[in-house]
Amino acid sequence: MNWFGLLLAIVTLFIIGSGFVWVIRGERYFGHPWWPYLMGLGFLLVLSSLFLASNWASALLGVFGASIIWGSTELKEQAIRAELGWYPSRAKKVQLPFADIIKKWKAPHL
Amino acid sequence: MELNFTGLTAALATFLGVWLGHVAVRKVEFVSPTIWLPTSIFTLFGIGLEILSLRSTNAQLSAAFGILGITMLWDALEFTRQQRRIKKGHAPANPNNPRHARIMAEHSSATTLDLLKRDPVGRPVLQDEAIRLIKKHS
Repeated sequence: MNWFGLLLAIVTLFIIGSGFVWVIRGERYFGHPWWPYLMGLGFLLVLSSLFLASNWASALLGVFGASIIWGSTELKEQAIRAELGWYPSRAKKVQLPFADIIKKWKAPHL
Repeated sequence: MELNFTGLTAALATFLGVWLGHVAVRKVEFVSPTIWLPTSIFTLFGIGLEILSLRSTNAQLSAAFGILGITMLWDALEFTRQQRRIKKGHAPANPNNPRHARIMAEHSSATTLDLLKRDPVGRPVLQDEAIRLIKKHS
């Protein structure tokens, strides 16, 4: 029996689950025009996982990166949910650098 | 230095598992006359993938099966959560699905409109405007 995959999967479930929380909070404070930062960070983490010798460390970093990339594609829809009043919204958002430029780009959604 | 592809495999399994689950739950729940049938099928496939994961001697295969299996087990629960979204009008109902038709008769909040199908406008939006915005968008 190889328990690696199942144990990794259980940790993955919690990492994905934490995504529900940080996407909601992240949108509340920063809005959605910071998705490229998240997407970039996610890809960087997945890339870094290639250079870790330990399977556990590599897998966890890969899962964490993938979860952040997915979260970056969820921000736009979360912004609409907040506008509709389905989630508490904060009128004053913290503007991250280049937010005005990013707003003109088409936000990804899958 | 030798590259370790375990993380990339786990990342792909996570991303594809979440993406496919996200799409499959919406599509299947939209057309399925029952919730228990897709829930049971996804549960069985999820358990099957976990058994494959336990029996894989290769770390990458074990990781991929394990992660895909657990996302399918989560999807099994999501069918019930998706039905709740239909009742609240947070996801579009399908009047041609008898189960959704019953939900629409019992819950005035249910709607055939997908209120998320637009771009954000950056301020609170009330129901009337929310509908105008998605009509303009489509």
